[in-house]
Amino acid sequence: MPGIYVYSDKMKQAAALIGLAAQSGKEVCCITMDSNQAQELKQYGPDRIIILNGNSPLPENYAESIAQLIKKEQGELFLVASTVRGRELAAKTAGYLDCGMVSDAESLVFEDKRIISSRLMYGGSVVQKAVISQLAVVTVPAGNLEAVQKENAQVSIVSLEVQADPRVRLIETLAVKKDKIDLAAAEKVVCVGMGLDKQEDIKMAEELAQVLGAEIACTRGIAEERQWLPVESYIGISGAKIKPSLYISMGVSGQVQHVVGIRDSKIIAAVDSNEKAPIFRAADYSIIGDMYEIIPLLIEELKNA
Amino acid sequence: MSRIIACYKWVADEADLKINPDMSVDLSKAKGKISDYDKNAIEAAVQMAKITGDEAVTLTYGSKKAKLSLKDALSRGPSEGFWVNSEKAEQADGAASSKALAAAIDKIGDYKLIICAEGASDTFARQVGPSVAARLGIPCVSSAIKLELCENELKISRKLEDGIEIVAAQLPAVVCILPEINRPPIPGLKSVLDAGKKTTREYKIEELGLLESDLSARTETIDFKAYVMNRKNIVLDGETAADKVKALVGSLKKEGII
Amino acid sequence: MGEESQFDAIVVGAGPAGLACAYLLAKAGKAVLVIERGDAPGAKNVTGGRIYAYALNLLDKDLLDDAAWERKVSHEEIMIIDGNRSITMDYHDPSLTEGDESLQSYTILRAVFDQWLADKAEEMGAMVVCGIRVDDLIQREGRVVGVIAGEDEMYAEIVIAADGVNSLMAQKAGLISDIKKETVGVGVKEVIELPAKTIEERFKLNQNQGSARMILGCTQGIHGGGFLYTNQESISLGCVFMPQEIVQHGKQVHDIFQELKMHPAVYPLIQDGETVEYSAHLVSEAGYRGMPAKLYKEGLLLVGDSAGLVINTGYSIRGMDLALLSGIAAARAILGESDLSQIGPAYLAELEKICLLPTMRLSVGYNQLLDIPRIYSNYPQLAIGVMQRLYKVDGQIPQNLKKQVMEAINESGLTVWQMLKDGLKGVRSI
Ligand SMILES: Cc1cc2nc3c(=O)[nH]c(=O)nc-3n(C[C@H](O)[C@H](O)[C@H](O)COP(=O)(O)OP(=O)(O)OC[C@H]3O[C@@H](n4cnc5c(N)ncnc54)[C@H](O)[C@@H]3O)c2cc1C
Ligand SMILES: Cc1cc2nc3c(=O)[nH]c(=O)nc-3n(C[C@H](O)[C@H](O)[C@H](O)COP(=O)(O)OP(=O)(O)OC[C@H]3O[C@@H](n4cnc5c(N)ncnc54)[C@H](O)[C@@H]3O)c2cc1C
Ligand SMILES: Nc1ncnc2c1ncn2[C@@H]1O[C@H](COP(=O)(O)O)[C@@H](O)[C@H]1O
Repeated sequence: MPGIYVYSDKMKQAAALIGLAAQSGKEVCCITMDSNQAQELKQYGPDRIIILNGNSPLPENYAESIAQLIKKEQGELFLVASTVRGRELAAKTAGYLDCGMVSDAESLVFEDKRIISSRLMYGGSVVQKAVISQLAVVTVPAGNLEAVQKENAQVSIVSLEVQADPRVRLIETLAVKKDKIDLAAAEKVVCVGMGLDKQEDIKMAEELAQVLGAEIACTRGIAEERQWLPVESYIGISGAKIKPSLYISMGVSGQVQHVVGIRDSKIIAAVDSNEKAPIFRAADYSIIGDMYEIIPLLIEELKNA
Repeated sequence: MSRIIACYKWVADEADLKINPDMSVDLSKAKGKISDYDKNAIEAAVQMAKITGDEAVTLTYGSKKAKLSLKDALSRGPSEGFWVNSEKAEQADGAASSKALAAAIDKIGDYKLIICAEGASDTFARQVGPSVAARLGIPCVSSAIKLELCENELKISRKLEDGIEIVAAQLPAVVCILPEINRPPIPGLKSVLDAGKKTTREYKIEELGLLESDLSARTETIDFKAYVMNRKNIVLDGETAADKVKALVGSLKKEGII
Repeated sequence: MGEESQFDAIVVGAGPAGLACAYLLAKAGKAVLVIERGDAPGAKNVTGGRIYAYALNLLDKDLLDDAAWERKVSHEEIMIIDGNRSITMDYHDPSLTEGDESLQSYTILRAVFDQWLADKAEEMGAMVVCGIRVDDLIQREGRVVGVIAGEDEMYAEIVIAADGVNSLMAQKAGLISDIKKETVGVGVKEVIELPAKTIEERFKLNQNQGSARMILGCTQGIHGGGFLYTNQESISLGCVFMPQEIVQHGKQVHDIFQELKMHPAVYPLIQDGETVEYSAHLVSEAGYRGMPAKLYKEGLLLVGDSAGLVINTGYSIRGMDLALLSGIAAARAILGESDLSQIGPAYLAELEKICLLPTMRLSVGYNQLLDIPRIYSNYPQLAIGVMQRLYKVDGQIPQNLKKQVMEAINESGLTVWQMLKDGLKGVRSI
């Protein structure tokens, strides 16, 4: 049946995708590989839920099956939440379907015969709008979505036996100990960049964060290269997107790939020693100066305030 | 000996991007570069080839501008450079790029592993690698941070949102790597000189059995504009650092934030 | 090529000096390697922006045809600034742009020009490798036999040090010690983009024609001067100073340059333009005196700025043409002399023949003239003072001209005796 197919490996996002797809007024079919998830998803009111029964715990291995299903039913759109698994599954499905794909669509506007999508390019400095008029695959940034419950008595749930691709098999999963950081929900954020000289100097920034009542965050280099903070702490196009009332950076140059993650902050304040640093163009309040001088003063000033 | 193919894209350096007053984007003066993380992909291919005794080669799909990239890519260690040369590449989307690359990989033949970066620095679409795999009908593993060869399988550690997963993939396969996988060294004088002596191979799309129309973008771009960020842009002045800090705290108070 | 040598010649630095030499050597069939630390030729180079065509013509006649010029200089201008006042003299002569190409001069942008020249050298067969910094020379028994870059060693019959002012190669060879502060200035420059039409309107130029302007009195009394060149779609604006004087005056290069940009006679020229490039670079200031005592060592020749081959005449800086000439002379010496140990002396002979050394000797006087601190403050003030009186019509009984000039002299703080002395120096320097 022509309509929109949605999938996410994460329950919350799958639910939200159903709502997003419903905006089109078209039939919404939710794909899952987990019958428990199917039961839960019912409350979000898709028209159909299809449970793919295969023999692999890895959702990515169902790409070819999904492509076959969509082709057979002449689907119009496959919407996927942009998680690691979701992106890979989506791009493989697009490959099998030999169709167009828009990744990380910031917005989707459903028109009569077409969909207008917009996404960021060049690390976030450019917005590209594109028209989708044929069968296509679209991924949507996971954080952008809210789930809405919807009454729909007519949800049909069907199971489909499929052959998952056996060529990639799971050996083991190592859950990393996660210090439950939820930057996306943080009210205030102190962000440190490569201007930080030594790992122990994080303490200084943490003290500032504490005085402000803020979460501590960083740029990619601090988390991935130097590994001074957990990877969940970095902000940007490949990291967290935040929307606090205050974001304050220390020694962050402000390359666009980072700034794209802080754009929704209410107030952006930046401290950097290089007056030409791009972060100042993205900031409301800027101090050109040495963070090692500024941070202690700021802590002092805030304590007195 | 088979091939380990690293795919890299020759992209406009985002630092040279110019924004016109009407917010349109001027890329004409931008210098080209190998997409940042593709350097990691090339290095991963070179390292893997050292272990397996295979041959690391590079592949790019690009317009004539990409010719400049071949020497740069080869100075990073691979032994041969393949280039699908078509002006169509300038307007390519993920579908067109993956189609061109898959056709070229087919033509190159005898491949054991294809390595892409997770995302290119211009699009950061994170789709070409898996799409290439689907088109070639081979398995794919994305977000890879470690590769190990065991027997005829590749053991891959991949980074998910909430943990590390270890999978085994049958070869040949496509692997999309994250930059954490290695640190690509800056090529030295000898490597750069050697690059000049290596073979490069140029394909026209007809040689790959493709038509121009096969390589048209499936999504039609209707607008390409600079992102506008409206901020106050107030630089806090003061004789001393302490004055500046006072001014900042004052401003934040006024904003009602502290 | 000797057994060990991988190249006939290694050129360190892809500026005009190195590339000219590499071009000729490669053209003669030699195996030449050019090593440049910038990511591309010209990427790290700073210049005011005027080059004289004769030198390129001397390198190879065909080169003039498609050289990567910006504009042909049709207007030679001198601008004198004092406070917010100014005088601009515009010398226009049709012969500046007509007739013999090789007698003309052009504005250029280094990133474009150097890349073009590098491409030409590569067409001749030279190998140009960018993004690699040469760290040291390999020397055996007092002879230079190769270079070290990072982990790699590379050997050649001869090494050409074309690595610019404050040459590391010349230092490593013991030909110069660390730079003497008084012999180098620091130059800062911005490239400001404007539409071609706007530039042509503001400078009253025809299409493809350009102006070259020296600016005196813009350095707030500090030894130095400014320049402004029109490119196709941009303006190169900059100034050159003596660094230690800046410190003495307690000023910042950046501030002085900002003031020049905001000067009421300069700002309208660059208004609405976008600064696309800001750079700072050393410039050799001392002319003949600043040259190393020896321009070669066995296995090594110094060319261009690394040999101190720059003339600052006060109304213009000449360095690129001299760089090209010295590169040509070096190539001629290498090609003409089969005895490796004799290439050095042969190079000196070629430098004489190509009139480079004689030109440098002549420049000695200029430098003496330029050493007079008054040039940078009192004289501009005097010229402006005279002008101001000449053009002031206020309905009062005018004073006679001589009296007015004397007044202006008094105001400028100059004494007649100083002026006589300086004038004499000036005459002798020409
Ligand atoms: C495809 C792609 C995706 C990317 N994704 C992300 C992402 O999601 N998130 C991310 O953050 N990056 C990302 N990056 C990397 C990004 O381009 C930048 O390299 C990175 O954000 C820079 O981090 P930084 O500002 O900490 O470091 P730098 O750019 O090195 O800046 C350090 C700053 O500290 C200042 N400084 C130094 N000392 C002091 C001092 N004592 N006091 C004050 N200031 C000082 C310096 O002036 C400088 O401005 C991505 C890159 C690519 C190509
Ligand atoms: C502000 C300013 C204005 C000027 N205006 C003019 C003008 O209008 N007209 C004019 O004719 N001249 C002018 N000059 C002088 C002119 O720029 C120089 O004389 C000329 O560039 C000298 O050429 P060169 O080839 O000797 O050296 P450069 O052009 O300096 O080239 C040296 C090259 O060597 C490279 N290099 C250095 N060290 C290494 C290393 N260790 N390993 C590898 N590569 C290395 C550098 O990156 C560079 O590319 C001006 C100079 C300045 C600073
Ligand atoms: N034109 C291309 N030529 C070669 N490889 C490419 C090309 N486009 C994308 N890739 C590869 O696919 C990766 C992901 O690209 P993207 O899906 O555009 O983010 C890149 O990092 C490259 O490894």
